[in-house]
Amino acid sequence: MAAQEKPNATGSFGPAVKSPGEAYVWLTSMGLAAGLIMVVFLMGLVVVKGVEAFWPRRVVQVTLKDDSPFKLIGAATYGGELTMRQEKRSRTIQASSDSDIPHMEMQLFVANRDVYGLSFKFLDVADIKSTEQPGSIVKLERIDGGPAIGTPLRIQFDGEKSLAADAAEFPAELERLVKEANERRDEIHHIEKKDVGRINARLEKLSRRQRTLEEKAESGADIQARIAEIEPQRSELQARYETLAAKARGLRDEQETVKLVYRLMSGQERTISVGDIIHYYHPNRLGGLQRVGLFLRNIWVFLTDEPRNANTEGGIFPAIFGTFAMTLLMSIAVMPFGVMAAIYLREYARQGATVQAVRIAVNNLAGVPSIVFGVFGLGFFVYFAGGTIDSLFFSDRLPTPTFGTGGILWASLTLALMTVPVVIVATEEALASVSRGVREGSLACGASKWQTIQRVVLPAAAPGILTGLILAMARGAGEVAPLMLVGVIKHVPDLPIDATFPFVHLDQKFMHLGFHIYDLGFQSPDAEAAKPMVFATTLLLIALVVILNLGAIVIRERLRRRYSTGAF
Amino acid sequence: MEQVQDKPASASDAAGQDDRRELRVEAAEPKSPPAEDFDPKLIEIVNFDFFYSQAQVLHDISLEMPEKHVTALIGPSGCGKTTLLRNLNRMNDLIDGVRHKGDIKIKGVSIYHPHLEVISLRKRIGMVFQKSNPFPKSIYENVVYSLRVAGVKDKSALDETVERSLKSAALWDEVKDRLHDSGLSLSGGQQQRLCIARAIANRPEILLMDEPCSALDPVATAKIEDLILELKKDFTIVIVTHNMQQAARISDQTAFLYLGKLIEFDETSKIFTNPSKKQTEDYVTGRFG
Amino acid sequence: MSHFEQEVAELKETLLRMAATAKSVISKAVKSLVERDDDLAREVEEEDDAIDQLEIDVDEKAVLLLSKAPLAKDLRLIIVALKTSHDLERVGDESVTIARRSIELGKEPQLKDYIDIPRMTAMAIDMLDDALDAFVTADADKAKGIVPRDKEIDALNKQMQRELAGYMVEDPKNISRCLHLMTISKSLERIADHAKNIAEEVVFLYEGRDIRHAANLGGDHQI
Repeated sequence: MAAQEKPNATGSFGPAVKSPGEAYVWLTSMGLAAGLIMVVFLMGLVVVKGVEAFWPRRVVQVTLKDDSPFKLIGAATYGGELTMRQEKRSRTIQASSDSDIPHMEMQLFVANRDVYGLSFKFLDVADIKSTEQPGSIVKLERIDGGPAIGTPLRIQFDGEKSLAADAAEFPAELERLVKEANERRDEIHHIEKKDVGRINARLEKLSRRQRTLEEKAESGADIQARIAEIEPQRSELQARYETLAAKARGLRDEQETVKLVYRLMSGQERTISVGDIIHYYHPNRLGGLQRVGLFLRNIWVFLTDEPRNANTEGGIFPAIFGTFAMTLLMSIAVMPFGVMAAIYLREYARQGATVQAVRIAVNNLAGVPSIVFGVFGLGFFVYFAGGTIDSLFFSDRLPTPTFGTGGILWASLTLALMTVPVVIVATEEALASVSRGVREGSLACGASKWQTIQRVVLPAAAPGILTGLILAMARGAGEVAPLMLVGVIKHVPDLPIDATFPFVHLDQKFMHLGFHIYDLGFQSPDAEAAKPMVFATTLLLIALVVILNLGAIVIRERLRRRYSTGAF
Repeated sequence: MEQVQDKPASASDAAGQDDRRELRVEAAEPKSPPAEDFDPKLIEIVNFDFFYSQAQVLHDISLEMPEKHVTALIGPSGCGKTTLLRNLNRMNDLIDGVRHKGDIKIKGVSIYHPHLEVISLRKRIGMVFQKSNPFPKSIYENVVYSLRVAGVKDKSALDETVERSLKSAALWDEVKDRLHDSGLSLSGGQQQRLCIARAIANRPEILLMDEPCSALDPVATAKIEDLILELKKDFTIVIVTHNMQQAARISDQTAFLYLGKLIEFDETSKIFTNPSKKQTEDYVTGRFG
Repeated sequence: MSHFEQEVAELKETLLRMAATAKSVISKAVKSLVERDDDLAREVEEEDDAIDQLEIDVDEKAVLLLSKAPLAKDLRLIIVALKTSHDLERVGDESVTIARRSIELGKEPQLKDYIDIPRMTAMAIDMLDDALDAFVTADADKAKGIVPRDKEIDALNKQMQRELAGYMVEDPKNISRCLHLMTISKSLERIADHAKNIAEEVVFLYEGRDIRHAANLGGDHQI
């Protein structure tokens, strides 16, 4: 009986052998961890800063020392939302300061730009004599000029009537008035936008028709009667326009009748028409639940309202809509082209040097800088194609270009061109992964090559094709550079898809989240005020891309379950 | 076939001899009764040469396969039996650079006739492959695929085809309650039977089978062999197989190919009990190949 | 040599051993008659047990080989082995009959000189020898030549039966001895039949033709 070997300390028989390559496992996991940490950090930063923009903050009123250099237009007492508290970055030599003790400074959002000329103010904490958080402070969101922060004094009605702020019915009255003002504003908007807009469109059509008729008349045809018809129509429309304009004017006047008088913390008294107030609240009187409610309201406004005040206030709904619409149009454009090109390359073309060359060219197209696509889009789509369309179909509108200028159509097509290589490559891979067996099976059943592709190969390759679409959407939704040349605009009053015929306005310029971020960050007049919006918009853009991708992933999963055959 | 005469037993034959003769009488009967009248030359292969670019893969093959019989093609790997099979429905056309000499005729008409559409040829011939290849569609859609590509839309015709084909393929009872489940959810043997159902759905005249059981377990194999014996009543079947015993079990004629040449072609019973050529004997008894 | 071929060789070898024992058993049985040696007769019975065991051996090996689904000549060989073992086992049994009858005959005086019986025996053993030779040397023609020789032994048997019948009529005291001798003659005739069967099976093995019952059914039967 041979002597039994005893297991050694590690529980194995024989010399302990380290499994080779363990170190690489750690290396790979570290790589993954590093990547994850970066993503988490970035997302965290964006989320925190973005959400911060919506959280209603308290307003503090500070009284500075008499000799403080941080007075605000001479006033030693002023206040605002506390936005930052940090160690002082720039060290100014002060006689009374001790270089060892860290200086704290804080930043206040003092609002009231119409009075102070600025929105944010830094001041040393050391210079503060006293602070308080008055409960009566109100933050007013105004139509323009940015927000106002102050204490309401009274409501001034038309004539001499007024309602003091300490009156019992003051809060309710103010609320009612602001609500009324908002409704009136909506009505004005409706009249001016929709009704007047419609009349204007009809008037324009009439003028164009007149012009065409005049051109025909010049060439001899006798259509004076037709021209004559136009005049009465025009007057009728004109009359209607007058009525509406009058109504609007009346409403606007009403907006101006009631005024609110308030005092800034630095002492100045100001008056504002109630019609100019969009929303107000008492920052220092909010309970926890109210704060959350306000927070949610802010987010809602952000998502659904139009921008105001050079894009620093209000919402960014048009940008959301524009991004979404453009990505959708781009997907609709890229899918057929990409898929059909891939089908031809993979299934029909004789595999040889030419096809390989085409494939290489397509792959390289993916590496071209996106701005180059923008330039190409500008030259080819906008000037050439757009110009030709204009001269053929919209000559009566010239020299105002319809399609001869940037618009959502050209932008979508440009981006489609940019993302087509991705779709082609992914589709080719997906087609190649469909096993020869099912293809032969289909042909043996008497199907033609096209029927085989249409009925068997494409459904089986669908998950992979959708992967290509996801990648294309992700790339396209985030690109900004080419868009700047072919169709985005800082601000546009209309959406590319709305209720007026022809409902989809392909020639219209549009707003885009990516461009909005650039615009806010670098081109807005008040960079500090725009910072929260930048983060919020970034967060939104990321969220939008994630939602689009998730949608495509869900569809792909469903397809994969039904057609599980390939490797995708 | 043997001549069997029923003579009375002579005095010298003890009781044991009677059993012997009765047994032999049974042995003389063919495996299953042949069709009443059939075309002995449904598929005619005439001096057929086949080339993949420069390499000649089939040399001067001449064969006649009768209607409603099972013809087996046997031979070692690379002998050309699958190539020959795939030529019958011109599946080899899919490969670049193939050429042929000689002819293959079905019902007297050459399959290479310039006016013959390959697709119409393939509609008349069903094929079952070595690895079952059901489409990633429902069972129902798999079976009616040939009808759909031919443009048939009438739901009742499709339903009837599904039932008939699945019953013929001995799969109906197992799947009749889940016709709209994916074809890929079936077991290996069931998938192959589904492929058989799909192949016979359009009522082709000829059924080609390329090692249909090689990827299946014995139970599934037995089911499919049984199926082939049943299908023989309605279809002409050509089957390529590596399994000698399978060929012995189910085929009526067997062709032995080696290195692209036809070595022997005869009744199955002769090939497997007393082949004429030594090469055939050696292959069949496993001495080579 | 593959495993299968080895097993087939073992089967053949067992069969040949069985044949050798069968031959020895026939000679012994007739020798025990001629020399009136009871001990020899009893040996025959023991050797027949050996033959029976060998039949079981051969059949087991054959069934095992059949399960491997042999074809063509392998298939025919297995079938021939099964049948031949049966024939040889019957030969053994017939020899035992001869031995037992010779013990009985030994209890009475010898009736007459044994001339024809040894002759028949020699012929039968020759037939068996030749059949097994043909089996070993794959000589189908030799095997075919064995078949007609059976007729000679049949004729001898008939002659024997007539002669013994005469003896029985002559003197009733001869009856029991004559009956024993008639049985022995019949047994030898049957042994020759079995040798003929083996020869026919050898032809089937090597030519694939079934030449049995040619006289009755007319012609050879080709597979």
